Amino acid sequence: MTDETAYTRKFRKELMAGLSSLVLLAVLARAGREMYGYEIAKAVKAEGEGGLIFKQGAIYPVLRSLNATGLLHSRVEASAFGPPRRYYDITDEGRKALAEWQFAWRDMREFVDDALSAGAVPPGTQGGHAGVGA
Amino acid sequence: MPVSAPETVPAYLAQLRRALKGAPAGLIADALADCEDHLNSEMAQNPDLSETQILVAVVETYGTPEEIAQEYRDMEHTITTPFPQPESTPERRFGFFNVVSDPRTYSALIYMLLSLATGIFYFTWTVVGISLSISLAVLIIGVPFALLFIASIRVLSHVEGRIVEALLGVRMPRRLPAGPAADESIWTKIREAFTDIRTWSSLLYMLLMLPLGIAYFIIGVVGLSLSLGVTAGSLYGLVTGESHMQITDAPVLNHLLHTAPGLIVFALLGVLAFFVVLHIARLIGLAHGKIAEGLLVRL
Repeated sequence: MTDETAYTRKFRKELMAGLSSLVLLAVLARAGREMYGYEIAKAVKAEGEGGLIFKQGAIYPVLRSLNATGLLHSRVEASAFGPPRRYYDITDEGRKALAEWQFAWRDMREFVDDALSAGAVPPGTQGGHAGVGA
Repeated sequence: MPVSAPETVPAYLAQLRRALKGAPAGLIADALADCEDHLNSEMAQNPDLSETQILVAVVETYGTPEEIAQEYRDMEHTITTPFPQPESTPERRFGFFNVVSDPRTYSALIYMLLSLATGIFYFTWTVVGISLSISLAVLIIGVPFALLFIASIRVLSHVEGRIVEALLGVRMPRRLPAGPAADESIWTKIREAFTDIRTWSSLLYMLLMLPLGIAYFIIGVVGLSLSLGVTAGSLYGLVTGESHMQITDAPVLNHLLHTAPGLIVFALLGVLAFFVVLHIARLIGLAHGKIAEGLLVRL
């Protein structure tokens, strides 16, 4: 993290802004049961090498926003003493959105990969981030 | 900006609270509740690590308080609140009369009418709870009863917060506030409950709701019936030619009520009064939102 420039951090953040919703929907859809924030955070971390790019603390506001838009459903397990815990579950609308977003993401990835491999990276520099086109 | 890394959960929460300064109180409460639950889960997951070690790892995985604060601020703009803020400033063509097309006016009116019922209930519950807590204090069940009562006040405050957010559009916490952990000793629970300023401010709010509820209800009912009644009565008099409205104490006004121009003037005055009532409802909604935010949201 520390060896990245401010530009790169900003770029990552902007990329992540929309994708985090997609990732969280995917995690909850695959789990097929309701999960609470910490469980989801752990599941996201296990997603792969990229896990740490996404700070776990950023998951909670995204969950809240998905809940507010109706893509997730939530339930609070309240106890008068002891921390209450909010459980999230994906709604039918959320599953529909997930299917559409996956399609949009594949489209987008192909488009970006094409753009990158079509000469954006000059030959010889061997840009490690160019990715491999499908 | 180099800020010393927090080494305890309270220190982390305090830093997060500072970083969120100026944000809506409800948002801060939400962020703190999320964070506290996460940190507690992290500690429960790694019982062999010290709090300091866990906090060092948390800053790496969860994020620094400043980063988290920024995430919540960013997200607040995208969350759909019960009344989404309009993107552009609303048209001011009708100025004073705009209030009639604002949904917030009517939800504030509904709140005013509802507050009589909730106010009576909160007041009764609180007074009974306090008197029983005090009179049972000499018995062994006194302390558990007082704790149960305070817990019920927290739940009531949360429910009232939801009502206030839905009807008055003020951002309130979307989760119950985190209480002390279940495994803490009863004395710790008592101390926390009694030193928590919010316990007392919530009690104050519950008691305050009776006079406020009565006032809101009367203002709402009297205002609406008077303004609509005068308008309807005048129109009825204009249409049928016989006026049933009488003001016996003021002969001049009484005479006006039996002439067509006078009835028109009264009908217009009634409409004007109706709009004034709508404005009053909005103002009460705004003011009560501030009261609820100040007394119910724990910071």
